[in-house]
Amino acid sequence: MNLGFIGLGAMGRPLAAHLLRAGHALAVWSRRPETKAPLLAAGAQVCASPAEVARHAEIVFTMVTGSDDVAAVVLGDQGLIHGCVAAGGQFSTLVDMSTIAPATACHIARSLDERGVRMLDAPVSGGVTAAEGAALAIMVGGPAETLELVRPLFELLGKTIVHVGENGAGQVAKACNQMVMVAAIEAGAEAMRLATASGVDPAKVRQALLAGSAGSRVLEVFGARMVNRDFQAGVEARLHHKDFGILLDEAHRLGCPLPIAAVVGQQLNSLMAQGWGRDDSASLLRVVERGSGRK
Amino acid sequence: MQIGFIGLGLMGCPMAQHLARAGHSLHLWARRPAALEPFKDIGAHAHVSAAEVAKHAEIVITMVADGPDVAQVCLGAGGLSEGAAAAGKAGLIIVDMSTIAPAVARDVGAQLAAKGIEFLDAPVSGGEVGAKAASLTIMVGGKASVFDKVKPLFEKLGKSSTLIGDCGAGQVAKACNQILTGVGVAAVAEAFNFARKSGVDPARVREALLGGFAYSKILENHGQRMLDRNFKPGFKAWMHQKDLRIVMEEAHKLGLMLPGAAATAQMFNAMVGSGLGEEDSIAMLKLLERMSGSE
Repeated sequence: MNLGFIGLGAMGRPLAAHLLRAGHALAVWSRRPETKAPLLAAGAQVCASPAEVARHAEIVFTMVTGSDDVAAVVLGDQGLIHGCVAAGGQFSTLVDMSTIAPATACHIARSLDERGVRMLDAPVSGGVTAAEGAALAIMVGGPAETLELVRPLFELLGKTIVHVGENGAGQVAKACNQMVMVAAIEAGAEAMRLATASGVDPAKVRQALLAGSAGSRVLEVFGARMVNRDFQAGVEARLHHKDFGILLDEAHRLGCPLPIAAVVGQQLNSLMAQGWGRDDSASLLRVVERGSGRK
Repeated sequence: MQIGFIGLGLMGCPMAQHLARAGHSLHLWARRPAALEPFKDIGAHAHVSAAEVAKHAEIVITMVADGPDVAQVCLGAGGLSEGAAAAGKAGLIIVDMSTIAPAVARDVGAQLAAKGIEFLDAPVSGGEVGAKAASLTIMVGGKASVFDKVKPLFEKLGKSSTLIGDCGAGQVAKACNQILTGVGVAAVAEAFNFARKSGVDPARVREALLGGFAYSKILENHGQRMLDRNFKPGFKAWMHQKDLRIVMEEAHKLGLMLPGAAATAQMFNAMVGSGLGEEDSIAMLKLLERMSGSE
């Protein structure tokens, strides 16, 4: 199949490579030219703009940072929309795997629909490790028949594919995912801090807890990073900070109280202020430590 | 003086009338023609657009709902800057008394400055009661020379006007005001709910506390209205929700930790979501009673 991929960062690069390896033709574009080199070597066609990608590809994947980035790449001056079938290109399906506001996803889906292009919002969970291992959880919003068209490609990228609902529903599921996950990281950080402040070895506490009812994937992965004081990003905390901006905005719009998420959002604000935004979200431990007078 | 006034709602209407009563000539434009009714018999000039108002006035006051409205009235098609340019007029002063995000105020101020128009952000505290009694507190950002020119008008509208700093500083002060009043109302509501649930008369508690360090105007005024169960607005809960959203978005941008305001903002979300949005913000008490199983 003729595919396109836009956004070749830590997540996008391995996903694009999986598609190439499965034998698909892949047209790519990214803002930073250096990210294209490994894919070029693997046989991808590098394009000068998203519009050019759209002229060569029926199905285009996007994996970029924020709502504005997706809107620009899809609807902007040099956007994908200018290479849709109605404009003489091949582009007929967009699969946006970025994490953005549900309202933006709906808006983009409507704008594309007017030009005969179908869209899936398909944000993922699992991070870089799962992207490399083709083991992502993919949360899909959009028409069921479009999902069936794209499903064989999703199967190259992830192991759980759930059709959540209409356009925007995938992003709602992702917002819920971020809320639950980062709240769990914060809870883990507080537990590790309480142990340390009490003169107890947090590594032992983590080990004991993993076997019981408080055991979780977050405690396993992020708990280990906290115990080892390894704050190198896995997931850059600034991205979780961005996601909390999205979900607290939704809470405001919907008149929906999210008391825990609001507090976690404040801890993330503090994390950003300490300059740890490009470190791992396990740095929430360092925020709690600063609040308890430990530097 | 020739004064323009745009935004003749609950707050704007009595404010404009104070200026007319002080002998100034009013130039008005309103989205809803009904808003002009109270000005029919006092010789105010109604215009077909904000641009027309700008052609006739030396100072224009705006009092509208939110940042996008201010930007539209000042800079949009048929807006104030268009009218000033069409009349070839230099030295128009725009005074925005709405509550909007500091960043939007700075942006509007800078764009107007580029067109030779002076701008003050001058949000107020005191609510509809203060507007009617001309007892508002006015918090001003902008140039001192412009503030001095507008001060005589401020004196007709409020009992104090303070130049806080440069453009945007008035809105920062208002955001601080909304943190204190939002968290303050929540605290008084919590205290009263606590007293009543404990079988103690909240009226007696209020009376005792007014004599001590917990004294505040909110305990005195808002507290009395809570005891009277008089939830008529006043200051509507959805407006406080909007103002706290401005606060929380600034906090997100600045990497600023505001846990108290964050928790309070979620309670305002709950008020709006559960149908209390049109009541006074002291209906926070009703929300707490509901959540404590004692409505």
